[in-house]
Amino acid sequence: MAAICSLYIINKSGGLIYYKDYGSGGRMDTNDSLRVASLWHSMHAISQQLSPTTGCYGIELLEADTFDLHCFQSLTGTKFFVVCEPGTQQMESLLKVIYELYTDYVLKNPFYEMEMPIRCELFDINLSQVVQKDRVVLLGR
Amino acid sequence: MQFFGGSEISPSPPTPTVSGNNAHMMYVFNRNGVCLLYREWNRPLHTLNAQQDHKLMFGLLFSLKSLTAKMDPTSAERGNLGVPQLPGQGCSFHSFRTNTYKLSFMESPSGIKIILITHPKTGDLRESLKYIYNLYVEYVMKNPLYTPGTPIRSDLFNTTLDQYVRSIA
Amino acid sequence: MIGVGKIKQYSNVLDKPLSKGKQEVSLSAFAFLFSELVQYNQTQVDNIAELERRLEDAGYAVGARVLELLCHREKGNRRETRLLGILSFVHSTVWKVLFGKVADSLEKGTEHEDEYMISEKELLVNRFISIPKDMGTFNCGAFVAGIVRGVLEGAGFPAVVTAHFVPVEGQQRPRTTILIKFAEEVLIFPPSLVTVLLWI
Repeated sequence: MAAICSLYIINKSGGLIYYKDYGSGGRMDTNDSLRVASLWHSMHAISQQLSPTTGCYGIELLEADTFDLHCFQSLTGTKFFVVCEPGTQQMESLLKVIYELYTDYVLKNPFYEMEMPIRCELFDINLSQVVQKDRVVLLGR
Repeated sequence: MQFFGGSEISPSPPTPTVSGNNAHMMYVFNRNGVCLLYREWNRPLHTLNAQQDHKLMFGLLFSLKSLTAKMDPTSAERGNLGVPQLPGQGCSFHSFRTNTYKLSFMESPSGIKIILITHPKTGDLRESLKYIYNLYVEYVMKNPLYTPGTPIRSDLFNTTLDQYVRSIA
Repeated sequence: MIGVGKIKQYSNVLDKPLSKGKQEVSLSAFAFLFSELVQYNQTQVDNIAELERRLEDAGYAVGARVLELLCHREKGNRRETRLLGILSFVHSTVWKVLFGKVADSLEKGTEHEDEYMISEKELLVNRFISIPKDMGTFNCGAFVAGIVRGVLEGAGFPAVVTAHFVPVEGQQRPRTTILIKFAEEVLIFPPSLVTVLLWI
């Protein structure tokens, strides 16, 4: 199994705008991935309500039995999350890099409509390079 | 060591991962979502009333469990999203972390859910939750005056729990 | 391009030296501005050819001004009158001022005498742009083609300039080629010749 299983990007209203699978136990079908995304969006919001102290921004890391889920939320409410093997390191920095790619190749693309599904060739190319590089680093350890 | 009906509480408490008083609160739910116990040690922020808070917490755990079962990358058989998972069925989770707290979660085979909320930097509390479950079995389930499914009102359990939580977090 | 910086204030703009300016401009700022330019023009048209034409027009205005500025700044108010001269002026001087580098290549078309090509592995304006599948062969390099046309026409070499994607073997991304097709009269009467004729 690859270190990184899948990547999701959801817009500020909980709609899935990007989903990429990196060879795990079968790709989710479109309906399921949309549902998972909106469920995560609400879970993320509820976790802020349950905080014992002020200033909570929602779940950053969910440790499940068979995977870890790292989530990064930008200031504008777009959420990026990766599903990876338990204990995979440096996912925070990977998410930051992905966010950077998003700002470059998606937001600066005149043909991208805000909050809509991402269909940008350059984003795909650069993303797969980053994930590949990350995998090499992980294998090298 | 404490003895109860001749048997020793086993295993001995796991060694603490972080010291200092940074446990915030704890919930115990049964399989029907009834909040059997709510303890609060340090909670400056209350956004909702107690009942709503418990409901929301149970709902969060329920949904997260169905989410993790659906997202499990190791199995192809994942069931449907939103369908209740039996205890021990499907991929579950043991903790999540936000910037302000860490929630550790454990579910027993009978569907008892123990939730401990601590400082976000706390380490792995899986063993500690098992120990708390042990306390629950010893002091609550073995108490003949306790009716299963009703809120726990055992001073013995509460004091032991307080002591233990103070020692781990 | 003139950057933002601490520039001495002159009461009369003509007293101001025509400095080289700061050579760097924020790429992000440019990318967002260009993106808005494309998006705005997209709302004004109903087909792709029209969009291409509008981008080219926007570039044309830039080209005409750039020629004026560079002739003054780099060439001592002289303009190129030879065909190859103006082409290499575009390929190196203009490119360097606009994009910070010389263009990757300048070639003569193999099939037609009057065609020249300037190729760029990754055109600066296309750095962040992915063309959606339904837009076919549209290339935002039309803006750059417009700049080239502006420079050439300003210098007396009327031409039709277009931008195309050309797939490169072993590369994921196609390169952009700016195709320059000179008008007939340029080859028969190049400006150098016209000047001579006027003298007589």
